[in-house]
Amino acid sequence: MANELPSVYGGEALRIHLGDGATETEAIDPGDARRFLGGNGFAAKQIAEHVPPEADPLGPENVLAMAVGPMNGTPFQSTSRGVLGFVSPMTNGFFDSTFGGTLPRAQKTTGFEVITLHGAAEELSYVYIDGDGAEIKPAGDLAGLDTYETCEAIREAEGEGYDTHVLAIGPAGENEVRFACSLHDSEIREGVAGRGGNGAVLGSKNVKAIAVSEGSFEPEPEGDLRGRAVQQMGRLMEDTEMLQEYGTAGLVNPINEMGKLGQRNMQTEQTDPENAEAVSGETLKTEYVTEDTTCANCAVKCGKHVTVESEGITDAKIPEFESLFGTATLQEVYEIERVIAANDLCDRLGMDTISWGVTVAFARECSEKGLLSEESPHLSFGDADGLVELAEKTAHREGVGDRIAEGSFRMAESLEAEAEKYLYGAKGLEFAAHSARGLKGMSIGYATGTRGGSHHDTRPTLQYDGNHDETTEGTPEFAARSQHFTALGDSLTQCRFVSEGGWGPRINENYTEAINLATGWDLSVEEVERIGERVYNLERLINVSRGVADREADTLPHRVMNEPISEGPAEGMYCPPEELESMLDEYYAARGWNDNGHPTTDTVERLDIEDVAETV
Amino acid sequence: MEVELRYFGTVREAVGESTERRSVEAGTTVGSVLSDLEEEHSGLEGLLLEDGGVAGGVTVLRNGTHVTHFEGVETVLEGDDRLSITPPVTGG
Repeated sequence: MANELPSVYGGEALRIHLGDGATETEAIDPGDARRFLGGNGFAAKQIAEHVPPEADPLGPENVLAMAVGPMNGTPFQSTSRGVLGFVSPMTNGFFDSTFGGTLPRAQKTTGFEVITLHGAAEELSYVYIDGDGAEIKPAGDLAGLDTYETCEAIREAEGEGYDTHVLAIGPAGENEVRFACSLHDSEIREGVAGRGGNGAVLGSKNVKAIAVSEGSFEPEPEGDLRGRAVQQMGRLMEDTEMLQEYGTAGLVNPINEMGKLGQRNMQTEQTDPENAEAVSGETLKTEYVTEDTTCANCAVKCGKHVTVESEGITDAKIPEFESLFGTATLQEVYEIERVIAANDLCDRLGMDTISWGVTVAFARECSEKGLLSEESPHLSFGDADGLVELAEKTAHREGVGDRIAEGSFRMAESLEAEAEKYLYGAKGLEFAAHSARGLKGMSIGYATGTRGGSHHDTRPTLQYDGNHDETTEGTPEFAARSQHFTALGDSLTQCRFVSEGGWGPRINENYTEAINLATGWDLSVEEVERIGERVYNLERLINVSRGVADREADTLPHRVMNEPISEGPAEGMYCPPEELESMLDEYYAARGWNDNGHPTTDTVERLDIEDVAETV
Repeated sequence: MEVELRYFGTVREAVGESTERRSVEAGTTVGSVLSDLEEEHSGLEGLLLEDGGVAGGVTVLRNGTHVTHFEGVETVLEGDDRLSITPPVTGG
């Protein structure tokens, strides 16, 4: 029933005013649950309603929302992720960044489906949350600590060990490095909310960490969700075997084979097989992996720990595929032990390895071309030691690190116009590893993504199977529907990797059945897809109101539109301006947006978001 | 003629090596190579081919290009072709 909240929902939103520590709760409207589902959808609604369009992302008017999905804490596999929603200091638009571990499940038990941080604390603090509400606690003695140290210090202070679930920023967040991230060190694996600069937003609010202790709420599915989950288990384990064995690093070799793995700041997209092998999942597994790690309620165990004796690193988080792109291949650094060191440092300092890596590669090319005036010994491609040094300098904003800390787009603005030719990103956010030139679905997906250069708007997975990788035919609609898939998945707070492997890479009957069993609703596949479409359009409306979403903003960088891939299997591929314009026309038409990329009144009405649209 | 086979991930573990050069007759197709591999290695049985085509999610590249952009399993190999085989991969 639309007027009753299904029993998988905890029922409340918790608002925390950091300035005076006041809190208030609001009941989750059953209609909103049905419209926005949870996680991503709930976070977007909070940002739409509470952040003024002109608010500075690093000012007190920004809001950080932490939300969980309806199936978190149920038998539905791998729905134990959490979502951070905020206005990004990278893009100045809506951003949602997800993370795994155990904290989101703990949040679920508090009964607070979405928790929002408003204003700013007067001094460095951490926010403690349990089933009774929230408390702001001083954290001055934690200043300068890294992410792991902070999590440990708060666990010790609370005296409950890993039953206190902590998400923390590092020095980068405190220093408002624009792509600073946050890290959750749980008992069973690390979770990183990596992208968009959520760590900088927390830093700007003087929040060093968020700590959650479990409450007493237990979500109860309306139907036999456990039986449906068990039914899917065989396929899930079969289709995620590579993840179980190698983590996401297993992608390095095959994508290099395709000639679609960026090198030297995207000057080329393929390296020698020996180089790829050196930084591959196969090598990491053979030489460095010590144990598998996993999030709550997930049998896949895609997380790994690595040990590197020469670096003094024991059981650090394995570099993900995207991180290997950003910190290894894009730098022409194939010394894996130094790459692991740089990644571990980024995790500890609290920095997004994608944006940091792409920005360093951009700086290195600018230096190579004589555009960067700073004298720095670390700005040469192939300099592995320099990579490690630059991580420290960036987090502490020292020397050229202070410019890297602003991200590649802002750095380009401070350089000669030629520098723009070497950018690799969209809307202020650096692209992930999946080639904007070599995959047509990524070309239009990145250009239109509400998060900018994110690979979790339009997904690359189906494209690597030969779908919409080399043709524009039908690709704009494919990209749009993939964006619905990701918005739905992030609203369920389900792990993308497991969902694509075990439940399907498109919205289908599997998801629909599970949602209906959890909630007691009777949604069709089309109605489930409309949830994803609704959430995506709401994000777009937020961005339109902030002046960062229109046809001019839906673009690709110079190199992607003007420099075909120069060699290798994907030689000649790129997305020239006229091709992008044609795809944009088709994309906007498929979405029901006008020629400038704004959702029309009819579309807003069709998606039943007139009320929220009025608030942005 | 000879072709080069490259194996990744769990396919590599099943085969026991990362690359090999293999002599094949003129006219050999991608499908026949995959079929031979399934027969030769028990760990690959039923994993590479499905319903007369490449199994879902398995990535087979001929000189770096997905074989779906040629003739799929009917693609005829030429001398010194490089066939890269990866099991289903998600994530990233």
